[in-house]
Amino acid sequence: MSNLSYKSIRNAHFAVVLVLAVVLIIGQPAVNGLVSQVILDGFYYPFFHIKKLLTEVKTVSAENDQLRSWVAKSSVELSFLEEAARENIRLRSILGFEQQPGYRLLPATVVSVTGGRMPISATINRGLADSVKVQQPVINQVGLVGRIQEVMPGYAKVQLLTDPLNRVAARVASGREMGIVRYLVSEGMVLDNFPNQGIVRPGDTILSSGLGRVYPPGLKVGTVREIFRPENKPYSEIRLEPAVNFHSLEELFVLMPETQ
Amino acid sequence: MRIIPFILYLFLIAMHEVISSDLTTVYTAVINLPALAVLLVATYKSEVVSIWFGFAAGVVIAAGMPDLMGWHALILSVLGLTAFHVRERLNLDSLYAKLLLILGGVLVHNVLVLIVTRSDEFLYLLWSRALVGGILTSLVAWLFFLIKEGHITYAKMKALF
Repeated sequence: MSNLSYKSIRNAHFAVVLVLAVVLIIGQPAVNGLVSQVILDGFYYPFFHIKKLLTEVKTVSAENDQLRSWVAKSSVELSFLEEAARENIRLRSILGFEQQPGYRLLPATVVSVTGGRMPISATINRGLADSVKVQQPVINQVGLVGRIQEVMPGYAKVQLLTDPLNRVAARVASGREMGIVRYLVSEGMVLDNFPNQGIVRPGDTILSSGLGRVYPPGLKVGTVREIFRPENKPYSEIRLEPAVNFHSLEELFVLMPETQ
Repeated sequence: MRIIPFILYLFLIAMHEVISSDLTTVYTAVINLPALAVLLVATYKSEVVSIWFGFAAGVVIAAGMPDLMGWHALILSVLGLTAFHVRERLNLDSLYAKLLLILGGVLVHNVLVLIVTRSDEFLYLLWSRALVGGILTSLVAWLFFLIKEGHITYAKMKALF
């Protein structure tokens, strides 16, 4: 009798499990989705968090190693550049040239960007309170981003190089010929007013020339992508690849004059 | 209170699926911890517990694929029930007999999962996933039995090293 009772209980349990399994097999997607969500929330999410943390720790460690080697390399380069700068100041004073103003970097974070498919301006979290002024150049770790267009107490608006109204006096890093960089919606970034006989090759770096006194010389603007030299025109048509990715602006630096 | 260990086993299965599954995979061989847990429960616990634990383990492992949740629950539930009856009818005192049950159970589970998920290249996956996965899972089970039956102890390990 006891054995029979046990078998009945066993059969009942198996029948319930069978019914539940069939309900899940032929059931509504909403029911399965709900059960799935409950299981994921209860059993899986703690481990998803742990895995994410472990991955981040691994990534941060690798990034830290990379940055250490970068800092070591940069400090060596910096010491050479400082020596060159001292030599430059000495030679300029011998020749009677005006001294170039020094700059310090004011870190800023991008709060918002505006524009259509291509952003043309960005708002940063630095303003009058940080002594930011209109026309000050803004860069990031790879090159020139734009200039301060408008300053509010805690914020400032940056006019990006992608704004068609923004122009940069520029020169080819190797050849020293000059032109004007501007952004055309239809063609992208171009180097205008570059003489047809000027020496430039695809891949050449374009730097700010310092003319116009808004941007200091030597800031990377882009690299030459395509060159067209129309025979009946005095100027070449040069298309550039911007140095900065304007779709992923995060940390920027405002170039503040040393005296400020 | 008797349900708590089984919930912990389910957490262990979830942890394996998320974290340790990739780490313990050898080439194409994946440790099938859900099937192993169901078979071990069937080896040591009662019939009703085996049925329900199989069902719960199936629901947990199929959380990411709700369409197949019922099939996974059914397969593991029946696997638990079958393993329990094999244990009742055959003499599983020997370590190798238990390992044979685990190998067979995991192999059957792997094959049924391949059928349910309608995997392409079934024959290739049969040996590259199902068979080698079954062997790797049996090795884990072998280690488990050696520890559980006292063949591997902390004192013995300490004496070795």
